Amino acid sequence: MKACEFAGLVPECFSEVLDAMYFTTVLDSQEMEAADSQGGDTLVAFSLRFAGEVSGNFGILLELSTARKLAANFLGEEERSISSMEAGEVAGELANMLCGSVMSRVEGEHKFVLSHPEAVALSPVLGTGDELVCRFATDSGDVTVWIALEGDLCRL
Amino acid sequence: MAFNILIVDDSPAMRRVVRRVVDISGTDVGTLFEADNGLEALALLREEWVDLIMTDINMPGMDGEQLLLEVRKDPVLATVPVLIVSTDRSDARVKQMMTLGADGYLSKPFLPATLSGEIHRLLGGGTDESL
Repeated sequence: MKACEFAGLVPECFSEVLDAMYFTTVLDSQEMEAADSQGGDTLVAFSLRFAGEVSGNFGILLELSTARKLAANFLGEEERSISSMEAGEVAGELANMLCGSVMSRVEGEHKFVLSHPEAVALSPVLGTGDELVCRFATDSGDVTVWIALEGDLCRL
Repeated sequence: MAFNILIVDDSPAMRRVVRRVVDISGTDVGTLFEADNGLEALALLREEWVDLIMTDINMPGMDGEQLLLEVRKDPVLATVPVLIVSTDRSDARVKQMMTLGADGYLSKPFLPATLSGEIHRLLGGGTDESL
């Protein structure tokens, strides 16, 4: 499988995970422009390693305010009651479920292993040129997903 | 009859979600135990009786596959229903876990009603219509 095929699975998986467990809708491109983030908020980033027939690293990047909204939906609690730690835990779980969802489609007949999602510094994650990046706008805020595959790469 | 349930997952957030689904499922719960991984789960199972184990697969320390093997070879625990709740929905993994003795397999993401239905099925209460 080429990296571009792998990345092509991300939008469908992202919608499925957000819809089922975060009660959050992914916006289309027009809504995305209208909902464009003002920025300035603290950023939260999580990554994990996946290993199977295809191996590499997978991560998500989002603003803390978005992580709080997603956590409130995920946990069924008021947004104001969500701590930064809880928001981070839920963001890590989002990375885990999203990567697992993509890998399940990729692997099919093969088993795979995911590492525990870890909070990461932003600088080593993005901008190295070796990753595929997808940005999604949701009604809880923007979420950026990146994938760095070992071996074959293509640009989106 | 109140049922004791054990949730095994290294994600505290996911344990909270599963706990919440159990709470609203209408299941008569005695004690809802939680464990961070298979090792913690086994230690707890040696002290407490549970009627249902719900476990993730990918966990540090001892994963869900090893936990399932340990439960199935233990004469006291062998008949306790085990529901796998995992992000891995590959055919290979589902087939493997069911062959090793899992009683059900639920992939994440899941709908609350689906998890609730599995809990009722495995505890002998049929399907849940409340969600």
